[in-house]
Amino acid sequence: MNLEHLKKLLTTFGPSGREEKIRNTIIELIKDHVDGYKVDKVGNLIAWKEGKGENKKRILLDAHMDQIGFVVTHVDKNGFLRVEPVGGILPQVIYGSRLNFDGITGIVGIEKESRESFEKNLKEMSFDNLYVDVMGQASKVPVGTFGIYDSHPVFENNLVASLALDDRVGCEILVECLISDERPYNDLYTLFAVQEEHSLLGAAVGGFEVDPDLAIAVDVTDSADVPKANKRVSMIIGKGPTIKVKDSMSVSNPKVVDFLKKVAEKHDIEYQLEVLPFGGTDAYSLERVKNGIPTAAISIPTRYIHTPSEVCSLNDVEKAITLVRAVVNEEVVL
Amino acid sequence: MLSQLNGVKGMHLENLSNIQAISGFEDGVVDYVKGVLDSHSYEYKEDFMKNLTVFIPGKNHDFKMGIFAHMDEVGLMVTRVKDDGSVKFTTVGGVDARVLPGKKVKIGNEVEGVIGFKPIHLQKKDEVSTVEELSVFVEDASKVEVGDPIFFATEFESCGNYYVGKAFDDRVGCAIMLNLIEEFEDEKPPFDLYLSFVSQEEVGLRGSAVAAANLDIDAALVIEGTTAGDNPELEEEHWASHVGDGPVLIAVHSGYVVDKNIFESLVKTAQNEKIAYQVKRRTAGGTDAARIARTFSGIPTGVLAVSTRYIHSPVSLISKEDFENTYKLVKAYIESEVLVH
Repeated sequence: MNLEHLKKLLTTFGPSGREEKIRNTIIELIKDHVDGYKVDKVGNLIAWKEGKGENKKRILLDAHMDQIGFVVTHVDKNGFLRVEPVGGILPQVIYGSRLNFDGITGIVGIEKESRESFEKNLKEMSFDNLYVDVMGQASKVPVGTFGIYDSHPVFENNLVASLALDDRVGCEILVECLISDERPYNDLYTLFAVQEEHSLLGAAVGGFEVDPDLAIAVDVTDSADVPKANKRVSMIIGKGPTIKVKDSMSVSNPKVVDFLKKVAEKHDIEYQLEVLPFGGTDAYSLERVKNGIPTAAISIPTRYIHTPSEVCSLNDVEKAITLVRAVVNEEVVL
Repeated sequence: MLSQLNGVKGMHLENLSNIQAISGFEDGVVDYVKGVLDSHSYEYKEDFMKNLTVFIPGKNHDFKMGIFAHMDEVGLMVTRVKDDGSVKFTTVGGVDARVLPGKKVKIGNEVEGVIGFKPIHLQKKDEVSTVEELSVFVEDASKVEVGDPIFFATEFESCGNYYVGKAFDDRVGCAIMLNLIEEFEDEKPPFDLYLSFVSQEEVGLRGSAVAAANLDIDAALVIEGTTAGDNPELEEEHWASHVGDGPVLIAVHSGYVVDKNIFESLVKTAQNEKIAYQVKRRTAGGTDAARIARTFSGIPTGVLAVSTRYIHSPVSLISKEDFENTYKLVKAYIESEVLVH
């Protein structure tokens, strides 16, 4: 893993539907190391490296480059904004914190006309009773402007706390897999997808375009190593990447799951099996493209997903890179 | 019926609004569109979903744009005819039971009825009717069968600066496309246009999925009737759009963040043409754009709408000026060729 690459990926602006900056950051990182790349009609970045294997297959690795964010829905006479989320964001997560409208800072306040309404609004917090103060810069953020959390990466004890680990860690894993000097055994296609957080649009379109023999979505998953964590979740950070068996939107192809387990065991890469009782990834879109693509997912256990400070282990990211490199170098037998 | 409409634009909207066509039963709109096409020489094609796409060749064939409006409206469907002659029903598309009691409806082509409800003096103050509790009362239930469509029986009216009627979602889009068809008879558009009248939007964006897959287009624009929600009891920041404030541009809605280039170039065209416009203030709800954008290797899609008050109810209202200006903006957008460059 390259920490500078990861920092760059985590701090580049790119909410769903506004991915041009993060796409350019990724292009800069990979362009000298790939056989080709293209930006498709909806803004996906697809980059590839030809394989050298005799029985090579076409493998698609997917990570979404968009992050959760906000859209300005109203600007009042006094320059205060109203926003709605783009992707899954709880209003409680942003009250009292800062938002970043690509350079313009916003502070989130709550309506409190009386003691009673303040208490009611705290209890029933929604994007309808929050507003955003941009300190006189309203003319630069008209309705339809996109924003993200105002947060930054912090590194401690091989852990990272940052906005947008979901799914820039996935992007970092794909980037490191692509820029490896080694020529892969299989044809490697990487899809840096748009709009996963809003609608899984990019994976549906990119999967159709690439039409691979096998697809793997690389994303984050929940981690149960915190006080009063979800009782039905077993994944924990620091114990290696997970091989997803199921989440609420997709069931991984069992043959692909077996293939991933086999590769991990062959190379002695620590992994965990993942059943997530909620959530979904680009795997949902990928598996139903054309006449169906055998699809699974590899995830990085992450605490506080969809907050301004998601936390994951750099060791898990490192092991995931080793795992996907091993996967693209292994003859695929399903 | 009060009708003081001059010019072709209002005429199509009036006729289309009065046609009864819930999802899956779009035949009346299809026939009307074909009637208009009879006096033109355009090629058009239909598919098994009842979609109808008109091809308007441009001066240049290097760029192809699809424009989509859905023909279906929300309504009801008969689920059971009871021995007492009352008719039970389910909703087709998003219809809230609270807009139904006491409304006049038509079942199939000929049976008229009224949606009955528990007498007011027997209802508790805060009682809310559900679809299960409502029935349609008709004179002769022997003419009604399970599966018959039930339509709202609202006649179109022109009232001062407003049009009042049913199904403006999305007959406004259909009317604007018919006006484009007539407009481009004399003066060809700069590039190839495919105007697609699609089915079953209200039940899950179904027609557009098939229509878009049958076209080979570089970009798409969806023309819609969209929620106003501009009730004076509500604070302005909670409205979705405002009747009279001009065409509604949508930046993001359910299932799709609208293509950035198309959104921004629509804003720019409106500014250049000095057409007052508004950006929708809510992100809930979706349009066919969410389906069209996902077609095959992807189609960049934009959404332009007319603010519609009391949408998805038996009576809705739009501003004449909004309707005219939405048409003007679509036409100016095509003629500006901004998408091609």
